[in-house]
Formats: sequence, structure tokens, C-alpha cells
Amino acid sequence: MSTQYENISNDLLWEITRSNSSFLVKRKQAGGVQFSRDPMNLVNKHSRKYEGYVNEQAIGIQPDSNTIALTTKLPKRANKPAKSTQTSSFNASTPSRKLYKSIVNSTAKKGYRPDLRAEAVARASAIRQSQRENKKDYDKKLRGSKARKAELKEASS
Amino acid sequence: MASRPTVTVHGADGAASNDTHPLPNVFKAPIRPDIVQSVHTGMAKNKRQPYAVSEKAGHQTSAESWGTGRAVARIPRVSGGGTHRAGQAAFGNQCRSGRMFAPTKVWRKWHQKINLGQKRFATASAIAASSSAALLLARGHHVSTIPEVPLVVSSSAFGGAIKKTSAAVALLNAVGAGPELEKVKNSRKLRAGKGKLRGRRHQQRRGPLVIYEPEKDGKELVRAFRNIPGVETSPVYALNLLQLAPGGHLGRFIIWTSAAFAALDTVYGSTTEPSELKKDFLLPSNVVAQPDIAKLINSSEVQSVLRPVKGGAITKRSHVQKKNPLHNKQVLLRLNPYAKAYSKEGLGHVKANEKPIAKEAAFEATLHEN
Repeated sequence: MSTQYENISNDLLWEITRSNSSFLVKRKQAGGVQFSRDPMNLVNKHSRKYEGYVNEQAIGIQPDSNTIALTTKLPKRANKPAKSTQTSSFNASTPSRKLYKSIVNSTAKKGYRPDLRAEAVARASAIRQSQRENKKDYDKKLRGSKARKAELKEASS
Repeated sequence: MASRPTVTVHGADGAASNDTHPLPNVFKAPIRPDIVQSVHTGMAKNKRQPYAVSEKAGHQTSAESWGTGRAVARIPRVSGGGTHRAGQAAFGNQCRSGRMFAPTKVWRKWHQKINLGQKRFATASAIAASSSAALLLARGHHVSTIPEVPLVVSSSAFGGAIKKTSAAVALLNAVGAGPELEKVKNSRKLRAGKGKLRGRRHQQRRGPLVIYEPEKDGKELVRAFRNIPGVETSPVYALNLLQLAPGGHLGRFIIWTSAAFAALDTVYGSTTEPSELKKDFLLPSNVVAQPDIAKLINSSEVQSVLRPVKGGAITKRSHVQKKNPLHNKQVLLRLNPYAKAYSKEGLGHVKANEKPIAKEAAFEATLHEN
């Protein structure tokens, strides 16, 4: 935080926003679950570790039409929102293993949030799965009496 | 602090100019959501108008109790006859057409006095919080397209240049506030409840707050900005906590004119120099010099006085699966160190080669004697 005096820290931000923030989704179901809408949150869970906005370094993985976009925060530009993230996108044709490898290589392997390695790969994998095309339904072949009836119908018409 | 951080002044086209301005001291003020919230709840009450039910409501009848002995409750009953109303219960809060319980009075305590020191603290705190991009995002402002936080736009872009709303919208779009305006526009919804009938028909989000210096920037910009949904303007000399922290939530998106930004130091002074415009006001100081807890814990001062970890690498693990020593050799050895030698010697397979000692004949005879 270059244009920041020493009165704000990430710990303070978390204490201010942990009970109420625009990203927070509170539900009474399931013992009062707390989710997050933060795009830089890999598991969509409202917690100090996963919330993107309270960590200097954060990884965001989002589907982008048919591709996957990897966003990372640039800690030195925290006060310049338009330039504070770096995005790279992966083509749909990138093999899954290669995708995970390059995500890990550009983040955890470099010492950039190594604690989020598994979460990043899991999210990328889940997005990949959601983007996969469904198998086509085949026309069912009729059998027995239904087949005979259909044949008769065909013949009469 | 050796060097004061600076903020870039942005031009009318939203591009960064060569001008910079040192960050005013207010931005160093402690950020205290608790103070901001309590001052906000007080201040929000100060615009209320008194209301009450009519003093006479429910008492415009000459009802009297019938007393005991008539097999009805002793509540006052409307006197007379010839109408259905006669003989009906009256006055009580449980009665139809009775008075309400504890009728509201216009002399309720509507307004709150808030200590001036607290109000100033809260204002300074809210201004300081507006310099954190994370807090703006957490408040719900769409600020991921703005070039810098705090956002300072050159006064030359304002001073007399903005007289029309179209020019004002163009400026806001140029500095990256477009998505924010769009958000406000789409957020306009019909209010739930009776407020609809009471002049509060719609609800919408708050957009950017434009803070200007009335002498240098002029006041035409107020008219230019006032019809843009969600956008508010305020002179830097009369900042209001209700605008700086709506709902008591820190992190309002503020667009400063450069003249207003420059005036902040004269308005608020610093922690050592009193403010020029506020009597007896010094900016509050931070209680802790280092708010970053991780940094504090990992600092050499703290780490050097900690005792080393007991046990080192071998620490007792709690809640582990119990291992069966009959299957797990290592666990067996921990319980019975002799097991190693026992199995090595193969003692488990050795037949006892000593013959059982023959018992004496007298013993046998005694045993089987009847």
C-alpha cells in the first residue's frame, strides 16, 4: 500500500468487514453458513484466508465464456484499482493437466500464496468440468410390442 | 514517517497528470468502526420530525364502568341506549375504538446530542477509511475501474468547466466511475412497506460523493451533479458523516477536487498542529503504531524473547488413529522393547525341550484317592 499511512492493515480490514460486507452472503440454513461473492475467493467461503480483498496476494479463477481466467493481485498497486490485478486466460483446448500445472507454476511454485495450491487446482478443475459438453442423447430403439406398434403406424401412414 | 505518501492528481480525461499532492494527515486518523457506527446512529436521528396520535383519540365518549354485579367485566362502558354503541366497552387499549396503549407523544426525545469530539473523530475516521480500495469494494462500490484511491481530480476540470449534467457525467465516466453510476441506476427499486406513501417511494444505492472547495471550484458543479442518480456533492468545509459513511459503514467512494484535497490539511490539521478552522481540534492518534498483527508477531523484537518450542520436532499429537500393536511393529516396539530380541531369536517358535517332571507316586495316589 504505497499511498497508505500505517493505520490500515489487512487484519484491521478483516475485523471491519467480517460481520458485514457487500461480498458476504449470510444464510440461516445449515447452522448459519457464510459464503462470499468475492471473485478473488477460490472456495467462496467468507474467511480470513480465502477472502481476496483482505489479503495482499490473492488468486481468482473464473470461467470466461469458454475459457478460464486466472487473476492475481499485485500487492504494490493495491491503491490503484484499475491496475491492481493481472489476468491471464487459458484456452478451452488447453489440456486439463497442463492448465493445473501452469496455474500452480504461476502462483504457488513462485511463492505466491502457496497455501492456496490445492484450492486453485480444485476450482480450475470444477470450472473445466462445468464447461465440458454433455454427451448427446441417442434415440432410443423401441423393442417388443412398442416396436411392432410403431412399425404398423409407419406402414399405415 | 520519513516521506509522506503522495497521490496523483488526475485530469479531466481521467489520465494521470504530473501533479501530485502529499496525502493529507486526516488519512492517518485511526479507523474506528465502533465510533463511526455509534455517532452515525445518533446523527441519523437528528432529522426526525415528531409524530403522535391525537390526544383525544379513544377518549371521546362518556363511558363509565357498570361496577360489579352485572355479570360483565368492570371496563368502562358507553352510556345511553338506542344505538349499538351503547353498552360497549370503551377507553381500554384492548377495546374496539379504545385508546392505544401508551399513546405516542410529540415530546418523545427525538434528537440525540453527540459530543463534538466524537463527531469529529468519526468524520476523520470515515475520511481515512475512504482511502482503502478494499473497504470501498467491501462497501459495495464498483471501483475496480478507477485509477487510484483516493481519487483526486484536478480542479481545472471542475472550476467553472462543469455547468451541465452532461459534462458532469462525461467527467465521471472519464475517471472510471461509469460502472458505479450504472450500478446505482439499476438498483432503483420500489420500497417495501408504508414508506412508499410517505415520500420515500424508491430505494437506490449510493454512488460517488464529490467533494469540492466552494471558493475555488465554484458552486455550479452542484447543479450539474445533482440530477445524476446516486451522486452527491459536499463542500470540503461541511463534511457530513451521514454521507461519508452511509448506514454507518466505512468506505464511501469519494471523488476529491484537487482544491478540496489541498484544503484537508487546513480543515483537520494534524496530530500535533491544531486545525485552523476547528477550535481546539487535534487529529486523533493511532493507539498502535503497527496494526499488522503478522508483522508484529514475526518482528525480531517479539521473536527474540520467545522461549524455544518445547519438544522440538517431536510433539505429542492429539486425536490420532489408534494403531494396533499386534499389526504395527513400530507401535509394538514402543510398548515392548523386548519384542525385537524376542522375534530375532525366534523365541516364539522354540519348542520347550524340557520334559515335564514326573510326579511322585504318592502324589498321584493321594490325588485319586476316594
